[in-house]
Amino acid sequence: MNDFSKMWQTALIEIETAVSQANFSTWFKETAILRSEDGTVYLGVPNSFTQEWLQKKFHNAILRILRQMDEKVRSLEYVIVKEGSKAPNPKKQAAPAPTMSMPLQDFYISKDDNLNPRYTFETFIVGPFNELAHAAAQTITKTPGQVYNPLLLYGETGRGKTHLIQAMGNRIKALFPNKKVFYLTSERFGNELLTALQEGKARQFKEKYREYDVLILDDVQFFSGKEKFQEEFFHLFNLFKESGRQLIFSSDKHPNVIPGLEDRLRGRFNAGMVLDIPEPDQESRAYIVRAKCATYNVTLSGEAVEHIASTIKDNIREIEGVVNIIACQSQFKNRELSLNEIRNILKNNTKPKKLLSVKDVVKTVCEFYNLSEETIYNKTRRKEVVRPRQVVMYILREDFNVSFPSIGEKLGGRDHTTVIHSYNKMKEEIKTDALLSQEITQLRSML
Amino acid sequence: MKCEISFEKLKQAVSLAERTAGRRTTLPVLSCILIDIRKNTAVFKATNLDVGVEIEVPVKTDGEGIFAVPAHVISSFLSQIDNKEQIVRLEPVSGNLNITLSKSKGVLKTVPSEDFPAIPTVSDAKTVPFPTEVLIKGFKSVWYSASVSNVKPELSSVYVYKDSDSIVFAATDSFRLAEKRIPLPKGAEIEEMLIPFKNSVEITRMLEALGPTVSMSSNKNLVSFEANGIRVTSRIINGVFPDYKQIIPKGFATEAVVLKQDLINTLKVSSVFSDTFNQVHFALDPKKKEFNVETKNSDVGENKSDIDAAMNGEAIDINFNCKYISDSFQSIDADSVSLQFNGKNKPLVIRPVSGDQSFLYLVMPMNR
Repeated sequence: MNDFSKMWQTALIEIETAVSQANFSTWFKETAILRSEDGTVYLGVPNSFTQEWLQKKFHNAILRILRQMDEKVRSLEYVIVKEGSKAPNPKKQAAPAPTMSMPLQDFYISKDDNLNPRYTFETFIVGPFNELAHAAAQTITKTPGQVYNPLLLYGETGRGKTHLIQAMGNRIKALFPNKKVFYLTSERFGNELLTALQEGKARQFKEKYREYDVLILDDVQFFSGKEKFQEEFFHLFNLFKESGRQLIFSSDKHPNVIPGLEDRLRGRFNAGMVLDIPEPDQESRAYIVRAKCATYNVTLSGEAVEHIASTIKDNIREIEGVVNIIACQSQFKNRELSLNEIRNILKNNTKPKKLLSVKDVVKTVCEFYNLSEETIYNKTRRKEVVRPRQVVMYILREDFNVSFPSIGEKLGGRDHTTVIHSYNKMKEEIKTDALLSQEITQLRSML
Repeated sequence: MKCEISFEKLKQAVSLAERTAGRRTTLPVLSCILIDIRKNTAVFKATNLDVGVEIEVPVKTDGEGIFAVPAHVISSFLSQIDNKEQIVRLEPVSGNLNITLSKSKGVLKTVPSEDFPAIPTVSDAKTVPFPTEVLIKGFKSVWYSASVSNVKPELSSVYVYKDSDSIVFAATDSFRLAEKRIPLPKGAEIEEMLIPFKNSVEITRMLEALGPTVSMSSNKNLVSFEANGIRVTSRIINGVFPDYKQIIPKGFATEAVVLKQDLINTLKVSSVFSDTFNQVHFALDPKKKEFNVETKNSDVGENKSDIDAAMNGEAIDINFNCKYISDSFQSIDADSVSLQFNGKNKPLVIRPVSGDQSFLYLVMPMNR
């Protein structure tokens, strides 16, 4: 028993003698002293009805009694205590209901931290491709804010970035109950900021984020080209960094190649730990397939596992989806699926190769180089336009096999020899120019 | 002090307040209606410390006074009186309240009123007008799905929130779930909140007496609705409702569209023979165009019925608690309903097929 509950027990004995039994059991039954600060005692009450009545009727009496016990007590405040889940009454529990219950316990996303409790380290599958990221994440959770601050994980969609960063949040919450952790997507951060600015509540917005000890921001590539967000975010970033509080980010690409990102922000990302989650290797993929099968309670032949692992290469989420479908179907048919059936499922459920128009390529390249689309079609020969235009031609020819004359025609009626020249020039330059080749790899991933 | 009041208004105020007044409370005054007579108005108050109501009625009086009378006494007394009465006289006389009618006179014992608690008010909150009808419809569509046990306060509540242009009401006891979406009327705003489902029943009853529009205000702990001199204030739960949308299946493996009345009648027949768990067995075979409903009770007998249905998808055999399924029909106005199955361990989704489709219902199967 701590001091507060002892103090309150003693006080209750006195209160009990002063009020009627009915009053006592109605109003004081579920009360407790929560804490005491600078002479103010905070009394926990079950609801506003009790709060209102205690304040109105018994305030002075309670304060007097508390003061008799401790002279330092100056004032009394009431706090409505959040009603927790009560332990079920063992006596009243009927025979177990035969209706299955929904797995609701998995879906409590607390408004205080936004973390999904399903994402934990225990359910995270570690393989050679992500063990570095996993190790760094583990290290940070032991001493948040001390090492690798900020941490930025990047990799393509479906590689487990969100899982890992949320697992970090959940682990930190478990290890350090006093630390306030907050997870949100960059998009939501942006929307909240926008609303705050519109309503003239920019200050409250800042105050809110200042409270957190660990901030986890998903998909920071969303800030691309949004100056106001970057500005606000930059200040927050500095504040966290200076006060030794942990920042954790995820992005779909390396900060150096996120277009429209301010240099100072880029530098700050790089000052911490930037880690890649690359494509999972065949072995890890097979392992993931088996692990997912185990959670869905389906058995697959070694051949089938290998087939799935070699068909879906870069996206763990897709693997999960396919295993889900297999589990569902084999449950209906009440037997293991044949390899042929699995092949069919894979054929129908994996992402088809994207069809792109010339316009899409131009758009992506222009966004990447921060140009307006018209300039590509214009007759200008400015250096900053010529190069992207050549990149467009090169990609169209190399990746999409478009004929030289039609590339020329679609890019503002150029002669096919111009296109051939550009194509050959790019092809040569890529061999020697590391920056160019990196840019093109990046562009390909964006298409 | 003497006070004159319209009989009809008095009767209405008492009947509204009586049902909110506490029952079996430790504090006797909580099972009373407090009548607070001031200049030109009388305020009738009742509370069970979960919900509080205050009803203002205009009166003609020559003084002021407060007295508490046991709710069931005054209510039973007035409800037996002929409605032809016009004006009633209330008069406190040495610990009693005298109620004088044209042909009858009641002398009611009063209870000391000092212990009657103040009903809290929602402070520091904006008051917004809200159409009553939307709230009533929303609460009634879902509250029966809330959990009657108080182990998890958030599950014995109705969850109200805004989702883009709609106000959404949801409740679940983890065996079934009901969700109702209603377009948010222009200019209306709502904060997300968890209202204990028992309170939502009280609130709805009051709302029905409140007229087309109410002023709603809420803060972290309380919500109140007010119109025409009537105010109802309820505690709200400070908690988190599970993110149930993740449970709603995206597709279906088997679908059956049936006439609602057909299904209701069949289930009524079946329930005669259902066991203690209300178990009903569905066997659907779209290829053979068969939808069988079976119940069996070793002590009573058994029943097998066919339902006409338009079906597609795979065949399925599955068991449900019959009551959970029939509960949903009170919220469905459409003539036909769609039942979507997703395999043995996944919830059944029930939706109206035509007309108002803003209702969604999920039922978990039984596991044997």
